[in-house]
Amino acid sequence: MKILVCLKQVPHQDARLDIASDGAWIKEDGIKFEINSYDSFALEEALRLKDAGAATEVIVASIGPERVTQALRTALGMGADRAVHVKDPALDGSDALGIARTLAAVAKSVGADAVLMGLMSDDGNASAVGPMIGELLGVPSASGVVKEEKTATGFTVERELEGGALEVVEVSAPCVLAVQTGLNQVRYASLKGIMAAKKKPIDVKTAADLGLAGQVGAGAAKVKIQKIYAPPKGTGAQILKGSADEVVTGLVGKIKELGLL
Amino acid sequence: MTILVVGEIQKGSVREASYELITFAKKLGGDVKGLIIGSGCGAEAEAFAKKGAGSVYVADEPALANYNVDGWTRAIKAAVAASGATTVLISNTPSGWDCAARVAAGLDAGFVSDAFDFADGAFVRRVFNGKLDAKVVSSAAKTVVTVQPGACKPFEGSADGKTEKLAVDVSGLKAKFVETKVAAAKGHDLTKAEIIVSGGRGVGAPEKFTEVIQPLADALGGQMGASRPVVDAGWLPHEYQVGSSGQIVTPKLYLACGISGAIQHLVGMKGANYIIAINKDPDAPIFEVAQLGVVGDLFEIVPKLTAAVKAAKG
Repeated sequence: MKILVCLKQVPHQDARLDIASDGAWIKEDGIKFEINSYDSFALEEALRLKDAGAATEVIVASIGPERVTQALRTALGMGADRAVHVKDPALDGSDALGIARTLAAVAKSVGADAVLMGLMSDDGNASAVGPMIGELLGVPSASGVVKEEKTATGFTVERELEGGALEVVEVSAPCVLAVQTGLNQVRYASLKGIMAAKKKPIDVKTAADLGLAGQVGAGAAKVKIQKIYAPPKGTGAQILKGSADEVVTGLVGKIKELGLL
Repeated sequence: MTILVVGEIQKGSVREASYELITFAKKLGGDVKGLIIGSGCGAEAEAFAKKGAGSVYVADEPALANYNVDGWTRAIKAAVAASGATTVLISNTPSGWDCAARVAAGLDAGFVSDAFDFADGAFVRRVFNGKLDAKVVSSAAKTVVTVQPGACKPFEGSADGKTEKLAVDVSGLKAKFVETKVAAAKGHDLTKAEIIVSGGRGVGAPEKFTEVIQPLADALGGQMGASRPVVDAGWLPHEYQVGSSGQIVTPKLYLACGISGAIQHLVGMKGANYIIAINKDPDAPIFEVAQLGVVGDLFEIVPKLTAAVKAAKG
């Protein structure tokens, strides 16, 4: 079984988010990027399937500019076998469907038996691309996966529902699994792994290489962000000011007032 | 313009979030039509129709007795074709986020995820884990939107309800439902706690929960909780997690330390009677739901607070 893991490189969770001059995204210059947290759990899950002998090859794919190479190198250092980097300015401004079309084309081109990825990204938070790839490829998908077990025909997966309940579903391969965070402990790339990664191939592709010219990018996008902004502030919390001792006195006073002390 | 609202049956009746979709649809403006998917779900469809959805399609098949990603996607696509809907509203629940984007891809439609408002022709949604808002516009002939549960009030009007059977091809469904499992009983029940002291990513390390957070919880006679990243990192077991996929808590006092306030956490604790937040980032969303806040270093404030609480108790 060949597994394709889709990785998105996103602004670091502690990065300063300043709005870009077009008002529609953040300023990306000078900030740190990292692998989307949800996707790193998907990669770990794929590597575990390979370690257990349930998968023969783990291929990672990512879309984006040159900086994305770093995320792919990290994934290769963790143990992925090879990478596909879709690098093409023609993809700029793609909506989720454009991204899903691109990744579906990559999945086809590498002959993936399963596509693993995160439930959502830490920047867009849309939970869109995984199910879309499933629909475009005409294969089953499951979102919010917290456990999967390889079967003769595909996987038995557990999906997270509300209030701690789980739904058990059987999906036949090929399929798309979009995983929740926390389903495993993500490994670090070892020094040996990082050295070995230098020799692993990163295959660079354009939209045209994937037969997608004109079907992706801003021109093909059906939805777009018009504006991005800090959420309007409500009245918010009353902020206690002063030295640490002063604020602690204020906190104790409030807890007493609530009758809890 | 016709708006299709996809109702969801939970524990034998149409869930509140489905009626919220009707309120959201009224904001968009247009004819509302509903859809109920299930097996033997005529009564639920009737209720949905009478309480606001008006005309409701019923995809009633034994194969749809339980949620099935393929079955739901097919039923929604069939209802769009039958109704001529240009907008489809689906609640952003575990079944919603499993099938909605598939429906969008299948219809070659625009997709907007987890919208909580609609204003000036744009859908409003949270991005960057709650740190920023985005206004999203669709230029597509059809748009599929998932709507955040709780974002608007459930519709309370009534409509002349009628239901109509919708034919859905359920042969060869690509996924198979096995069962729903209820998670094992919680060893650490936070739902009845009067005081909860929770820590987030800002606590920084597992041992800091034992050294800094737990002592304050103990001093106050309360329980310790945590946000999702803490549990995901393996610092504390899942039974400590407060949030949409953890425990929903309603204590008299909730003290959030080093928790930024991602939406999934807020869902779990905003029902607390009183919320105090301690965080070094003055822009952390947690300060929007807290009544009282301290912008500062939790490692300085919390130990002092623990000592002061102990002193006050004598």
